[in-house]
Amino acid sequence: MEKDTEFNNQDSIGNSLEQDRAWAESLLNKQSLSQFNASKIDAPLNYFESFPDQLMSRIANERSEKLEKKNAKIFFLPSFMQPINRWAIAAAFIIVVGGSFIFLNNSVSKKTQASMVTNNISLQDLSIEEIETYVDANEWIAEIDVQAQMQKENARLSTLDKKQIEEIKKNITK
Amino acid sequence: MASDQAFIIQFQASTNREANFTALLKKHQQKVYYQIKRMVTDHADADDIAQLVWIKIWDKLDGFKMESEFTTWLFRIAYNETLNYIQKQKKQGTNPSNSDLLDYENATASTDSPKSTEIQIGLDRAISQLPEKQKVVFMLRYYEGFDYEKIASIVGTTIGGAKANYHQAVKKVEGFIKQL
Repeated sequence: MEKDTEFNNQDSIGNSLEQDRAWAESLLNKQSLSQFNASKIDAPLNYFESFPDQLMSRIANERSEKLEKKNAKIFFLPSFMQPINRWAIAAAFIIVVGGSFIFLNNSVSKKTQASMVTNNISLQDLSIEEIETYVDANEWIAEIDVQAQMQKENARLSTLDKKQIEEIKKNITK
Repeated sequence: MASDQAFIIQFQASTNREANFTALLKKHQQKVYYQIKRMVTDHADADDIAQLVWIKIWDKLDGFKMESEFTTWLFRIAYNETLNYIQKQKKQGTNPSNSDLLDYENATASTDSPKSTEIQIGLDRAISQLPEKQKVVFMLRYYEGFDYEKIASIVGTTIGGAKANYHQAVKKVEGFIKQL
């Protein structure tokens, strides 16, 4: 507003375009003004004919570049999610590895326990006479087999807890 | 010829966007280019800026609400892009406004009489030394014949401010020529 008041007190500018032009020409020389403009508004030959095509191809290129960048950004999360995400991935990894380790361990121990029981039952099914005749016939082989079998059994027994041992004992006494 | 508004509505409705944009471009490209070139002088600079301006128009045209004239919006973008370009050039140590002023002076000197050449060179130098806003206001008023309301919207000032800029520009150029 202050500028407006200040301006209205000055020369008679701002009434009409013709008046403004006439005022400038009276101070600056009309011919020079038109020569100045002529020198500025030249362009290379056919520039305006080729400009739209050049521009549209540039726009098309930029659009395809933007699309490529968008496609490459599929896996990025917002920055505020990143610390949480890191911990979530670590926790999930631990759960999967730990869980599968525990599950596999359990199933292996159950299998060994089961096989031990079946082995004991099968030995029990044999009569002493049968065992003696077999030992007589294959004395040295049997000696090695028995020793190996004993070692195996010892090794298996060492992995069993008290309950399991008691169960096996019960089976044998039966 | 269809109005700017018709092209814009069709563009925004995604009906043959490229054709409607190209129609707008062809209609206004010369005025935009000349306006830029009056500020930076060099063709390569003016071409760069003009491309940036039209790319921006392409990107933003969907959001244009037609609350102002399309040409006001277009020239405001052109003005801002040119100012940004000039500021970048100044930071890099080159001045686009004076890059081919010497060529122009040499060309003028060879064709005109000594007195008119002197005035011509003086006018060119004086205008090139004006603050950008005054320079643009003078160009838009004197050469393009825009009203002050439109000029004020383009350069981001009041109507009174635009009138004052025109007045100061003419007075400064006159003072510079008198010193010659």
